Amino acid sequence: MIKRHPFILVLVTVAATLAAVQTLGCGAARSARSIAADKIYVAPGELDKYYGFLSGGQSGSVFVVGIPSGRLIREIPVFEQRAAYGYAMHPTDPRRRELEETGGAWGDTHHPVLSETDGVPDGRFLWINDLANGRLARIRLDYFEADRIVKIPNLQGAHGIAVVSPSTKYIVVNGEFEQPTDGLVTNPAPYTSVVAFVDPETMEVKFQVRVNGNIDIADTSKDGRFAFSTVYNLEQGRTMGAMIQNDRDAVVAIDIPAAEQAVAAGRGEIRNAIPILDPEQVPGILTLIPVPKNPHGVNVTPDGRYAIASGKLSPTVTIIDAHTLKIVAEPEVGLGPLHTTFDNRGNAYTSLFLDSQVVKWNIDKAVNGSDDYIVDRINVHYNIGHLQAVGGDHMRPAGDYLLALNKLSKDQYIGVGPDLPENQEIIDISGEKMKMLAAFPTPPEPHDATFMSVALLKPLVKQTYTPAADAVQAGQERVVRTGPHAVTVDMTLIRSAYTPDSFDVREGDQVTLKVTNVETIRDMIHGFALPDHNLNIALAPGYTKTLTFAAGKPGVYWYYCTNFCSALHLEMRGRMVVQPKDSTVTLTDWHAAENVKGQVVAGVPSTGDKP
Amino acid sequence: MNARACYVLAAALCAAALATPLWGFAMSAPQYPDETLHLQIARTGIVGDVHEVETLQQYIGVRFPSDLPELVWAIRSIAALAALLLIAAFFGRQRIGHWYRVGCAALVVVFLIAAAAAVQARLYRVGHERDKNAPIRAVRNFTPPLVGPVKVGNFTVWSFPHVGGVLLVGAAAFSIFGSRKRAVA
Repeated sequence: MIKRHPFILVLVTVAATLAAVQTLGCGAARSARSIAADKIYVAPGELDKYYGFLSGGQSGSVFVVGIPSGRLIREIPVFEQRAAYGYAMHPTDPRRRELEETGGAWGDTHHPVLSETDGVPDGRFLWINDLANGRLARIRLDYFEADRIVKIPNLQGAHGIAVVSPSTKYIVVNGEFEQPTDGLVTNPAPYTSVVAFVDPETMEVKFQVRVNGNIDIADTSKDGRFAFSTVYNLEQGRTMGAMIQNDRDAVVAIDIPAAEQAVAAGRGEIRNAIPILDPEQVPGILTLIPVPKNPHGVNVTPDGRYAIASGKLSPTVTIIDAHTLKIVAEPEVGLGPLHTTFDNRGNAYTSLFLDSQVVKWNIDKAVNGSDDYIVDRINVHYNIGHLQAVGGDHMRPAGDYLLALNKLSKDQYIGVGPDLPENQEIIDISGEKMKMLAAFPTPPEPHDATFMSVALLKPLVKQTYTPAADAVQAGQERVVRTGPHAVTVDMTLIRSAYTPDSFDVREGDQVTLKVTNVETIRDMIHGFALPDHNLNIALAPGYTKTLTFAAGKPGVYWYYCTNFCSALHLEMRGRMVVQPKDSTVTLTDWHAAENVKGQVVAGVPSTGDKP
Repeated sequence: MNARACYVLAAALCAAALATPLWGFAMSAPQYPDETLHLQIARTGIVGDVHEVETLQQYIGVRFPSDLPELVWAIRSIAALAALLLIAAFFGRQRIGHWYRVGCAALVVVFLIAAAAAVQARLYRVGHERDKNAPIRAVRNFTPPLVGPVKVGNFTVWSFPHVGGVLLVGAAAFSIFGSRKRAVA
């Protein structure tokens, strides 16, 4: 049969080969997927290896993401109110006061930077800038909450920030939006800006250094000597066309010890109580290193040898010796290089905005002039801005994961209307070739990220608050009329009740409500929401907040718990009864008649509007 | 080891028991990972995660007893036993000494049995004398055993002798052992 019909044999052979190729091919594809999945899969109940801190951009916050899973674990609101966390929701909230005093309840966060000791994160603080309103905020990493927000005087557009390595001597804040040098808008002289040096503990600006042009991204040498910034618009133009005339702009290196000496010698011009050093008056504090025009990122290698400026409009990176400040090489890497990060094997990774790629290149080879310094390229989706490898911004990079923070997501997620999510991609950099592992979307708009080992923070992170000295103690709850139109309520919350579970006021009374969550177990958060009074706060265990508000129209208002707590969560409610202004019922009588839980203190007689 | 040493040791164990928790309870539930709640019965009363357990008890109508007369009685008894056991160490080989020691050993054993019965009775009452108006209806009356687990709603409650309880059993063992020995003059 076969002998007589050889074409059948050929047919069978071809079919078998095709089937085998098909099977093997599918198997290989599936296996690549499962290898990638294994690298990022964190099973329910298991924990991520790293904290990823991503700036929230115009969300005014910081996103905390687990790496490698890419799971969004927490948003830390900073420059914007957030009802769900009870953050800056009420005028008595210290952060709300700071926001109001420094420029409003929204912000544009760009660069999260971690406090360092010996060149590596120490788990104390994270700083984040508000580009829009020239502010700097500090987040405590034991509570994951903003503990200080300050306005940086004498600058606008607080863009690049960096900690001064290796031990966080200052936070460097770059003023991007140039201003009239003398502060007078009538002066036609070229605009300038300043680099501010902020004390990490007090958050006070210690001194500033004037720079001609727009000061962009910041980093520092690992020995604390220089603060590097990219500067564009050396032309000091005021329109886009005028800003791109010169062939070269610069990286500026500020000599920090020299600047400190000049400040100590009183050579700064004082404005808004801050000494400003002008390099034209104080030579030697600032070195201009010419790089191709309109550069963007500047990143110092983990070993502190080089500062690498990314060309943006030029397809090159400029490698600068971080000690001598001489340019040692200017290799081409691709179109639109913006930022560079590092692994622990001497490689740099540069984001290519226009190519939508990450390019991996070998630093030593590029410096030595070898042709084969490009190691690998990987496509990202799309228009990558920042990128950060774990530890790449510190002295001990891990060399395992890299996060690509892309500006556009286009076709990467299911359609959600015209306002598309941002796309973050996790890339495996542990091998010679980069491997795309996973992507996750975020709300707008992470610009930059930094990472910290979970093991480092584990002993430092708190899960409940230690009650403050003025916390309301269980059993000490009270309702006191403190004036003809003022009532003070001291309240506690615990599953599943408010104490007092009701209180009585009159229309227009100024109510001062101090609330303590007296829970002691982790994750037992309670809310206090009061309808029609624009009041909603959240309290984690042990926390105390004081609110003041005017009692609204006569009626019964049920305050209730917004954070699902227990089997009786829905029943966790209480009443604020607002009597008419001319009511003759006294507070004491009302509370006696209602048999209210909690102590009622008679205080000042309740007289309504009558004297 | 001679009888005298046995009794000094037994008396010391009784005294030490007063300084340590006598009985312990461990409560675990799915939503309390890595944070099992612990209560101890100690000389001063109920100690441990009292705040959290009290918060939880309201849902099933359980209340901590406001006073524990049997605990007062037990503490006094342990102190008295420590004294009696110490005195036993001063008796010599004479017949009266032997009988005194046997009596002491018997007293310790009787005390332990009585204490166990009192604790068990109290545990029964805790699980049965509940507030009829408790919000959660699903939990039936329960009796935690003296040693071992019981399921109460979503919690598994383990009861066990704590350090003081073990020391008392040790004191009983040494006094029994000592009563069969000769005292060296």
